[in-house]
Amino acid sequence: MKNKRWFPIFYMFVVTACFSAVIIGFAKTTETRVKANQAGSFEVAVLKVLPGLYDPNAGAVELHQRFVEQVSEPADETAGAYTSEQDGKITGYALPFSGQGFWAAIDGVIGIGPDKKTIINIVIYQQRETPGLGAEVAQRPFCDQFIDLAMTAGDKPIEFRRPGEPLSTGQVHAVTGATQTSIRLEKIINDSLDRWRSKMK
Amino acid sequence: MKTQTKQLINEGMWSNNPVFVQVLGICSTLAVTNLVLNTVVMCVALVFTLSLSSMTTSLLRKFTPRNIRMMVETLIIAFYVIIVDVLLKAYWPQMSDNLGPYVGLIITNCIVMGRCEAYGNSNPPGVAFIDGFFNALGYTVVLMIIATFREILGMGTFLGYAVPYFSSEYWDKWIIMVMPPGAFFMLAIVTWVFRSMKMSKEEKTK
Repeated sequence: MKNKRWFPIFYMFVVTACFSAVIIGFAKTTETRVKANQAGSFEVAVLKVLPGLYDPNAGAVELHQRFVEQVSEPADETAGAYTSEQDGKITGYALPFSGQGFWAAIDGVIGIGPDKKTIINIVIYQQRETPGLGAEVAQRPFCDQFIDLAMTAGDKPIEFRRPGEPLSTGQVHAVTGATQTSIRLEKIINDSLDRWRSKMK
Repeated sequence: MKTQTKQLINEGMWSNNPVFVQVLGICSTLAVTNLVLNTVVMCVALVFTLSLSSMTTSLLRKFTPRNIRMMVETLIIAFYVIIVDVLLKAYWPQMSDNLGPYVGLIITNCIVMGRCEAYGNSNPPGVAFIDGFFNALGYTVVLMIIATFREILGMGTFLGYAVPYFSSEYWDKWIIMVMPPGAFFMLAIVTWVFRSMKMSKEEKTK
C-alpha cells in the first residue's frame, strides 16, 4: 500500500486529521479559561484606574464581582467610558483606548477624575512591544507618571518628553530607547482623550 | 547509564551543541534573551517541543513516505507548539503576553526541524526523545548565559530583581545590551569562548 501513488496524500490527510482533532479538543477544554483571562485582565485594568476599587490582595472572583457591582457600563452621556459612582455622584471615568503600537496593538484603560481634567491612573493590559524596551510602557515606573497628572486644554492633552528633560503640565518622560512605541502610544492616548473630551462637552 | 545515552548527552550539551557548534536556532537566541524570565519559559517550551516532536517523528518513521516526511515533521512540531501556546494562554496569560509571537515561532526554530530530520527520522523513539531533550538543554544553557549577561548589564536586574551595584547609580545601564545589537555581541563572545575551550580540549586529547 505504501508504494501506491495516492498513499502520501491519504497519509498526510489522516495524520493531519488526528493531530487537529487533539488540538481542537484541547482548545475547547481551555476555551472558557482563555476567554475569562482576557475579560479578567480588562476588568482589572478598569478597576485599577478608578478610585478606590482595586485591591491587590483580592482574588480573581472577587475582582470580577467588584467590576459587576460597582462599575457602570459605558453610556452615551459618558462617551464610551466606564464609570464608578458614590452617593449618586460620578467619582471617575475609565476610558478604554486601543491602537497600533510598534509590533502590534496596544490596549489600555485610562482613568479620568470627575473634573474631566486630571488623569487618575493608566493601565496597559495588552501589548506586544519589545521586551525590556517598548514593553516598559506597561510597567509601573512609566505608568505611575500619569497618576494625578493634569491634562492641558489643547488638542494634545498629554505630551511625552525625552528622558531627563524638565516637565511641565501634562508631560511625562518617555521610555529610554523606545522611540517608536512612545510616538505611537502618545498619539493613541491623545486621540482617545481628545475624542472623549469633545464628546463630553 | 548506557554509553549511547552518555554520548547523546555529551553531543547535545557540548561537542555538537546546537547553538555554538551547529549554529542553529540563532533567530530565537537573539530575540528572547534580553530578559532571563522570558528565556527560561522559552527554553522550557523548546525542551518540551523538541523532545516530544523528535519522539513522535520517530514513532511514525516506519509509516511516513519519504517524499512527504518534512511536511509531516512540520505538522508534528506545530502540534506541540500550539499546545504550549494554548497552555500559556490559559494558565499563564501574563507570560503569553510577554513572549508574544515568539512561542509560535518555535515552529520555525531550525533546531527542532534539524533534530527531527537528522536523528528522529532514523532512530527509535526512546533515544530520539533523549537526543531532543539534551539538544534543547544545550540550547538552554547557552541562552541562559547570554540572557543573564544581557539583563544584568542592560537593565541592572536578574529575573526582575535588582542586582547590587548594577542597579545603583554607579552603573550606567548599557541599554544596547537589551537591544538587538547586544544579542549579537553576546552570542559572538559566547561562541568564541566555548569554541576555544572545545578546541583546546580536543588538542589535549590528541
